[in-house]
Amino acid sequence: MKRRHWVRLDNASNIFPAARSDVDPKVFRLGAELDHLVDPALLQEALEETFERFPLYHAVLRRGVFWYYLQDSDLRPQVVAETEQVCAPIYQPDRRTLLFRVVHHRRRVGLEVFHALSDGTGALWFLTDLLGAYARRRFAGEAPVVEEVHELAPDSFAHYFRRRQPVPASHEEDFTREATPAVLTVEEAAREEGPVGEGRARRPSGRRRRVHRLRGSRTPDHRTRALELSMPAADVLALAKAEGAAPTMYLTALFFEAIRRTDARVHARSTFAASVPVNLRQFFPSTSARNFFATIRVEHTYGRGDDSIGAVARGLQEAFSAEATEEALGRRLRRLIRVERFPPARIVPRPLKDLLLSAINYANNRSLTVAISNLGRVTLPSPAQDHVGRMLFLVSAVRPQFCAITHGGQLTLGFTSPFVETAHVREFARLLSGAGIEVSLAAARSTEEELAGVGA
Amino acid sequence: MRACADCSLRVEGDWKRCPLCGGDLRGAVVPSPYPAVPLRYSRRRVLRVLVLCSLGVILLSFLAQLLFRRDAEDLGALRSVWLGIATTWLVVLMAVSKRRNLAKFIVYLVAAAAAVSVYWDYLTQWSGWSVTYVVPIVCAASIAGLLITVRVIRMELADYVVYSGLTVLLGLAPIVFLALGWVGTPIPSAICGALSIAVVTLLLALRGGAVRHELATRLHL
Repeated sequence: MKRRHWVRLDNASNIFPAARSDVDPKVFRLGAELDHLVDPALLQEALEETFERFPLYHAVLRRGVFWYYLQDSDLRPQVVAETEQVCAPIYQPDRRTLLFRVVHHRRRVGLEVFHALSDGTGALWFLTDLLGAYARRRFAGEAPVVEEVHELAPDSFAHYFRRRQPVPASHEEDFTREATPAVLTVEEAAREEGPVGEGRARRPSGRRRRVHRLRGSRTPDHRTRALELSMPAADVLALAKAEGAAPTMYLTALFFEAIRRTDARVHARSTFAASVPVNLRQFFPSTSARNFFATIRVEHTYGRGDDSIGAVARGLQEAFSAEATEEALGRRLRRLIRVERFPPARIVPRPLKDLLLSAINYANNRSLTVAISNLGRVTLPSPAQDHVGRMLFLVSAVRPQFCAITHGGQLTLGFTSPFVETAHVREFARLLSGAGIEVSLAAARSTEEELAGVGA
Repeated sequence: MRACADCSLRVEGDWKRCPLCGGDLRGAVVPSPYPAVPLRYSRRRVLRVLVLCSLGVILLSFLAQLLFRRDAEDLGALRSVWLGIATTWLVVLMAVSKRRNLAKFIVYLVAAAAAVSVYWDYLTQWSGWSVTYVVPIVCAASIAGLLITVRVIRMELADYVVYSGLTVLLGLAPIVFLALGWVGTPIPSAICGALSIAVVTLLLALRGGAVRHELATRLHL
């Protein structure tokens, strides 16, 4: 008889099953483009090897009376040819399946993950190992097997801390350790620090402005509209540097500008807001592959001064930097832990929690125009590094957003949206190509027109 | 690779027109990095609407039966037929929506069948046939059914232990009926109660640890 190991989903991850919907299945995709057609048999072998090293990925999601919980399973992942739309739903209640899938199409490998399992950084660790294992098999003779490097530019010590883990004694212990909510793994450290800056995080004073939101027509079967722009990373970096802003905020300002130019409902004094996730592992060493990020909201109101792209970017950068500090994030983390430990919150039955969380999620969404996520520059272990070109990053979306990832000197922006309209992406691309950047576009067919005749 | 002059873009794939501006593309076609996934109309929404409408109709028809109480005698046969149809439909809906978890379905089935039969008995001028015969027989049969199901489809213990526990607890209800003197003939209730007690004892003796573990998991605060 087998007794399964399990671990409760933390508050931060509970939002994903609660906020999951037909439009937004809360799935994200990380992908890599190889320099040859993918060999599915080798990819399967590589997946099996990587799967062994990531006990968290063995988990299935189950529903308890008070919480969702992750439970260890005997399921094995199978590499599949891509036949579903980008970020197709993964988790379905009462159906016990793994919470991720690995797909391949021509030269591309894609890892799709249900967000309650892991965040972008955690998934990138998995994909990095997967690509490393694949490349070692495919190009065994080409390069000596060297120590793997998992470095991720904006999170330089995450890997270091992961490495320090002692060799696990058993799969069960490994599962429990890896599946422990990241928030709790840093709780001890937080407690030692003492009650620094107790109290609520500062809210910007005054009443919150009405934020401009995009509208559009939904795709016919609620699939995610995915468009992907690739460009040389150095060119974008130079452009951002010239304006004195970091690339993420520069691109965000560009996104705002593209929407402002194409949406007829925008007026001169519209406020635009973006949510930007920050990887908390940068500030609080954690080895957990679970969700461990906080989102920072930045906004800009037009018509009150300099509205040039550079000025907007610098303004956003300033607001972002003020929030992205260890102290501000630590306050938030402690609040999260408190909420999770708050007795009345514990005894609320799960279906009621789901309702509350989806209401909170809805309210949050109302104050956002777009969402941005940047995984930064990725370095893969050799020999994968030499055989992977672009990497890509797409997130199922309830509002237009883009996700950025850089590899091999190529910056890829994955635009996703629940709407068929692409005007903002067109304008975005034109702003870039107008600045002399060579942009290429890849798109998944989504509308009835685009798909006419397909599968008939 | 193809290119769109209007957007100054290179476009990957076999697009005839630019996906962004709809303009003409020039250049050689390259294979698309994304497969074209045909539109698939989701049956899920249709199913959901059907289930909700059906549940509404069943509920309304049960309520309507209450209004005919005074004319019960005239409506006898008609009422039985109609309640039978509504109950069948209810069972079908439950079977469809709980098809992925048979143990859960059995609990739902027992609860619904018992409740409907008691209600039916009440509508047709209470004579106690439901608590005397139907409820004990349904409970006992479901316990037997569950034991067979678990054997046949090799369910994992964790997947059925809580629901089989619930089924067995439901099976203890007829003993309560017996104690309260609601039943005419005690044999069905006695058999059902004995079966439940036997299974509950076996379950706790053989699988006590697993039961506690599973309950701790599900009820974890």
